[in-house]
Amino acid sequence: MLSLGTGGGKASKASFVSYVTPEEIKSEKEPPKKNKHPELLPGEVVFCSANPILKFTQDDQSQRGVFGTLLCTNFRVAFVSDEEEDAAQHFKNRLYGEHDIPLMCVDSIYGGYDDKKKLITSGLVKNKSPNKMIIHCKDLRVFQFCLTFTKEEDARKIFQGIVHHCLEPKSLKCVFAFSYSNIPNPERWATTTFDSAEDWNQEMKRTRGWCKIVTGNENFELSQRLPQVFIVPKAVSEEDYAKFQGLGLPIWCWSHHTGCALFKASSVPMLQEDTVAQAYMERMLNDVAQNHLYSVKTEDLSETLPSIQEIQLAYTKFKQFFLIDNTTDFWMSDVKWFSSLENSGWLDIIRQYLQKAVEVVECLEAENTNVLIMEEDGTDLCCVISSLVQLMLDPYFRTLPGFQSLVQKEWVAGGHNFQDRCNHLHHKDKEQCQSPVFLLFLECVWQLLQQHGPGFQFSETYLTVLSDSVHVPVFSTFLFSSACQRVSSIRADSPQTQRGALSCPAVWDWSVQFDRKAQDFFINPLYAEKPVKVVKKSHRPKHQRQLSLPASAFKTPSKKSFFKEETDSLKKMLRLRRISRWMLSPDSPQPSTREFYEAWLRKPLDYHGLLLPCLSGPAIRLWVQRYLRWLPEVQVFGGGAMAVISRLSELLAQVQELKQQLEWKGHRQETNHRGVPAHLQPAVRHSSVFPFASSRNWSFRPVIPTNVFQSLLVPDSLADQDDEYTEVVSLV
Amino acid sequence: MQISCSTLVHFIFFIHMQERMLSHSGPHARGRDMFGLCCLPGECVLQRATLVRKKLSAKEGGGWLAGTLFCTDFRVAFVPQDSPKPNDNADPVLLGDHDVALASIEKVVAVGPTRTKLVTPSSSLKFTPEELVLYCRDLRVLCFLFDRLTPEKQAVEITHEIAKIYQPLKPGSVLSFQNAALGSIEMKQFLSNRKRDLSMNWFESSADWEQELERTGATGWRVSSVNDRFEMATSLSRFNVVPQKVLDTELKKTFAHFHEGRIPRWCWRHPRGSNLLRMASFQNNIYHEKDDIRNLELVLFGGQQLCVVVDLAEEMPSPPDIQLAYSRLRALCLGDISASVSVPDDKWLSSLEGTRWLDYTRCCLRKSAEVACLLRGGHLTIVLQEPEDRDMSCVVSSLVQVMCDAHCRTVPGLQGLIQKEWVMAGHRFLSRVNYHRDGEKEEAPVFQLFLDCVWQLFAQYPSRFQLSGDYLLALHDSLHLPIFSTFLANCQRERSRPLQHLSQSYTQVNGLRELPRVSPQDPTDPPLPPVWDWALQYSSERQAHFTQPATQPSTVPPLLNGNLNTCLDGHRQVDGLPGLVFLLSKGSFSSPCNLLPWRNGSGSGSYRKSHRRAPSAEMLLSLERLLKVCSPSEPSQEPQEPLLPILLGPCVKLWKDCYLRGVLHAQAFTHPMSSCLHPVDQLSWEVQQLQQMLVRSSTSGQPDSVSKKQEPQWAESNINQNANNGTFLFPISRSTHTQALTKAPTVHTTTTTTTTGQNAASAQPRPISREGSKHTFLFGHQPESSSNQRYVPTPNARLHKNSSSSQMF
Repeated sequence: MLSLGTGGGKASKASFVSYVTPEEIKSEKEPPKKNKHPELLPGEVVFCSANPILKFTQDDQSQRGVFGTLLCTNFRVAFVSDEEEDAAQHFKNRLYGEHDIPLMCVDSIYGGYDDKKKLITSGLVKNKSPNKMIIHCKDLRVFQFCLTFTKEEDARKIFQGIVHHCLEPKSLKCVFAFSYSNIPNPERWATTTFDSAEDWNQEMKRTRGWCKIVTGNENFELSQRLPQVFIVPKAVSEEDYAKFQGLGLPIWCWSHHTGCALFKASSVPMLQEDTVAQAYMERMLNDVAQNHLYSVKTEDLSETLPSIQEIQLAYTKFKQFFLIDNTTDFWMSDVKWFSSLENSGWLDIIRQYLQKAVEVVECLEAENTNVLIMEEDGTDLCCVISSLVQLMLDPYFRTLPGFQSLVQKEWVAGGHNFQDRCNHLHHKDKEQCQSPVFLLFLECVWQLLQQHGPGFQFSETYLTVLSDSVHVPVFSTFLFSSACQRVSSIRADSPQTQRGALSCPAVWDWSVQFDRKAQDFFINPLYAEKPVKVVKKSHRPKHQRQLSLPASAFKTPSKKSFFKEETDSLKKMLRLRRISRWMLSPDSPQPSTREFYEAWLRKPLDYHGLLLPCLSGPAIRLWVQRYLRWLPEVQVFGGGAMAVISRLSELLAQVQELKQQLEWKGHRQETNHRGVPAHLQPAVRHSSVFPFASSRNWSFRPVIPTNVFQSLLVPDSLADQDDEYTEVVSLV
Repeated sequence: MQISCSTLVHFIFFIHMQERMLSHSGPHARGRDMFGLCCLPGECVLQRATLVRKKLSAKEGGGWLAGTLFCTDFRVAFVPQDSPKPNDNADPVLLGDHDVALASIEKVVAVGPTRTKLVTPSSSLKFTPEELVLYCRDLRVLCFLFDRLTPEKQAVEITHEIAKIYQPLKPGSVLSFQNAALGSIEMKQFLSNRKRDLSMNWFESSADWEQELERTGATGWRVSSVNDRFEMATSLSRFNVVPQKVLDTELKKTFAHFHEGRIPRWCWRHPRGSNLLRMASFQNNIYHEKDDIRNLELVLFGGQQLCVVVDLAEEMPSPPDIQLAYSRLRALCLGDISASVSVPDDKWLSSLEGTRWLDYTRCCLRKSAEVACLLRGGHLTIVLQEPEDRDMSCVVSSLVQVMCDAHCRTVPGLQGLIQKEWVMAGHRFLSRVNYHRDGEKEEAPVFQLFLDCVWQLFAQYPSRFQLSGDYLLALHDSLHLPIFSTFLANCQRERSRPLQHLSQSYTQVNGLRELPRVSPQDPTDPPLPPVWDWALQYSSERQAHFTQPATQPSTVPPLLNGNLNTCLDGHRQVDGLPGLVFLLSKGSFSSPCNLLPWRNGSGSGSYRKSHRRAPSAEMLLSLERLLKVCSPSEPSQEPQEPLLPILLGPCVKLWKDCYLRGVLHAQAFTHPMSSCLHPVDQLSWEVQQLQQMLVRSSTSGQPDSVSKKQEPQWAESNINQNANNGTFLFPISRSTHTQALTKAPTVHTTTTTTTTGQNAASAQPRPISREGSKHTFLFGHQPESSSNQRYVPTPNARLHKNSSSSQMF
């Protein structure tokens, strides 16, 4: 096991990683203890197990590995090493260990037959069972298990069992969350869940919105599409709520401080002659326009943005670069790294979504119009755009509790179809609907976070963990396809559940997964907290103030002042009922947002105001932590940005400690010297992907990848490169 | 770099503008007040435009800055409106924070209401420019916005003036530029009185080289002055380090065997006893006498049994390759305002790949990593061989030392390294940078490539460097300013010629072509300062950013068996065998029989072959192992373990701070963290403050002896701990700390300001709230302060609420 040789690099531990071939090991080995089990969670049941299984270290072709037991439970595929585990891990998940894979997290399984590998699609393995099993996970880990050392029957059983439980369609009630029983902990991060009218009321008060709360859908009488509680413009009449089962109804998302607001709606299927629907939509638009009498812009997102199928396609291509069976593959792909990244199109999709969000922000911020975004279902692209817009505009959502409530509001309460988009249940007919929309949103957030670090209270690690948690079948948050399904599943009397009320925690209860110390990694140490009002702004350098010259004196036309004053609303009266559609010509929106962006750039950066992403080529980057964390080849030991961050945290801890001591001095108390927390001991060098895979010891990494110079010599002919490569290897 | 101000006062002139205004700039003569431009002695202001705004980059805080724009015969200067009054007693600084030298400008573009135009000396401007964009050679882009209140005439005239006077591709313009900057008598006197920075090694005297030998613990070597008058090798430095065993008379005979006489010379010794040498290619058509062979082997093996020749000719990019890649990269990063075609965002990455610049940095780093790994093996000699030994071997040998030697990751260390491996070793700066803009063929940004490689290392191991990204950037920019003696010559001989008045005959004999106009008229030549005199270019605030606190103290490398060499040497003499020699090429080893031309063919070689066979194969394997098997990357890395860069695709990055700072939209993604005080700085400052306060409060609050004893003890132990773990505060802070400790008894209350002289200006101990220790950092706002101190406590720096113990990303 990889982690075995870790923890201070003691010689005794490191010696475990075997240099001999597996056959040799086996002959020397005494029969291991049978049925070594991991600590099972409450409600977890073991389906099948096999021993001994060799788990390969993710390395080049060499057959090194660790022996242990492979189990399949109703929660995970677990591997328990025969050796003692090293407990010193700073970022340990309480639910599943380093070598465990939650069933939902399995992306694909390959069977290895001698030299070939074959994608397994169903539980029925026709001819002989493979001698190797390769599991690709949705959190981008790759496991390789060798099945040849166990009894053939056991091997077949465990293979079939794992394939069956991971890939076969199943019903919702088989999901582990329904068996898991856990006493919910008091929450550390207070998160508004938006399942009661009170929460919505609070939110509207906070944003000073001017709409009305509809509570009539408590039992989904109005429509199963709509959430239990939702907010519509004041002008919408009650009989319109359920006219098209909630289709086309503008749902309030957020209000700008000027009063204009963002609404989202699913589009009404409109035939050419369907006057009823047309009239309905007209009426809805008019109703939206009644909100503070601002004009309305509507945007059909599915017309201008990549569809969910395109997202899925791009992501499938993209993730292949990181799901690597052995390092040789990686070195080969490395030559054309940038262009292959680009060809996947994933980064460009991120850019397009951010671009669209900036356009919406411009309408709200600069043009002061209400915005209605529409899409077929109103729960996919709309969720991405509306939450991004709110993230850019509202500093509250950039705090950790704020961000969690944003996800609750837009995605969970908003009814994003997590079940089908992630295809949690592996239904074959739902594969068309599969698409990493939520991940796309997190990617966009990461880009923002990267560009405006101090503006966010949460860290990159938090986003990575959140993206992993989607595939942990313990939490209720990301399990359901709609609000309706959620409510009916959670209710005790529903036929969906057999064992009474569903009592699984929300993902926001992070203590389920991580202890308190590990949760500290979620916080961005550089977060610029909102300064208290008392503090005067005198610390700003002079040049950041506005110039002493009157703004109007400059030749560059500043179109409007950014923040509208309240007196402007008189002018708005004239614009009443003007409803404009977004210009659909492809070239026109670009320059206008660019102007908007430049105007924003000209102002001093305020981390508690509007934050816009830069979308130029070099600015959109690869989320290194998420995608490369399991690849030992790209880890920089004792280096990377982590080195600076950990040093920063060290210093912060020291400041804290000193302050405390000073305080004690002040109270004339005894000092008791408290050490720096263990995981911050400066002696420990972290790798660049810390806290993930922090404890691994990759002693077999060759110093220098062999292909770099080849790429220089023979850039075009890959065949030659292969030859040269083998030549070099054979020399060794 | 420290000069007592008083002696210099009489050199310093603050020149009133109107006195220096040229006659044709009549319209401005009405403006009788000073505009705050601190001219150099002899510098003439040619044009002035008022009410101009300069676009600030994210590093400078973003936004626009109002002020006055000047065009002098040396620079384009911008003086912010409310800048402090210049200090009359200050040393002249060549360039202010917002200035750009004329010679750095590459293109002048005027932006009108409807169109943009590239302004050339001959072109006429048909519209009033609203914006003036200066594209610089160092990839900066300066953007000035003319205000509506700017007199139109001023806007037009200054644009014209800059276009007319900035260095167009005209031979000889470099000299006139230098004269404008440094030509005045006051300036010459000032420069000749400048003291050298003694903290770095200049490698100019033999004592300097001996110091380096001592520092690295190399024995068996001596400094030879056989090339003192550049008779043996014109492109080599005066002093060269050769094996002790070789006498000067013997040494003289070896020069002819190498291209341009560049014999194998010692560069550096690894703590494990290996030596790094570099040499040019062999002259093949020469007869080898037996005595010669002995000396050649001695010089090459340097007292070791095993020698690896690293071939830098084959797989490394050639200078034209580098030039092509660099020009592509420039075009990609800078865009071209006159050519409206730019790379679409979604094609950016593949275009970046297409420039191949990153491939070349990888290639250099990889080669250097190989050499660094080999050096770990100990007791062998590694010779870098390049046909000319003046480009890639500079890059590789210095990168190896940056990787292996912590000293080279400090500012003085890197400066010494560049002196040693580039300046003295004869890198052709003058031709490669092409200051004269004549021989385009020779131009190649080899030094920029090296800086990029160092930056890659820095980006991967930021905590192992004492120097900062800002320093690398400053060095990069200085390369484009043709006033430094460091860069204005191709070798030491050229550099010292104006002073030495060497006779021409030597050049004739050695067949060197006539050198370009370096020193046409000696008497009028301004004395060129070295680039390391940073005070000439950068204010002390900006110099303070050259180092970063998060660093390891450069430990003196342990002398590992210093006398092992001699032991081996004796052994060698006894059995009389020639050493083994291998060639490292394309990542693998071989021992071709014609590697050393004198061993080839002649009868003497064949009889030894049988002798050599057995150890050779064994050696080959052990060498291969050195390259292939990395030492386990333990958490506790030894200091002499080289910093090996990871070179896979995702790990090699673009030096955005350098190449992309000109992009007008690039501001958002430059991390605002770097815009002012680095948070690590800020925090370590705060730790210092708190420790001081703690000491003070304990001594004042509890005068009884018990606690008094206890407290310094604690602080002392903390210091020790910091010194041990090697990553804590850098020397300055330690010294202030101890200072505080010694002073502690004299301070009485917690609220008095610190009396330590160094921090007197900035140390304003803010009252610490006893109840809540809330804490927040505010970045992007540099605390306003007139002092030059680096550590300025932000008045409202607070820890945020949730930082109960410590946080991480």
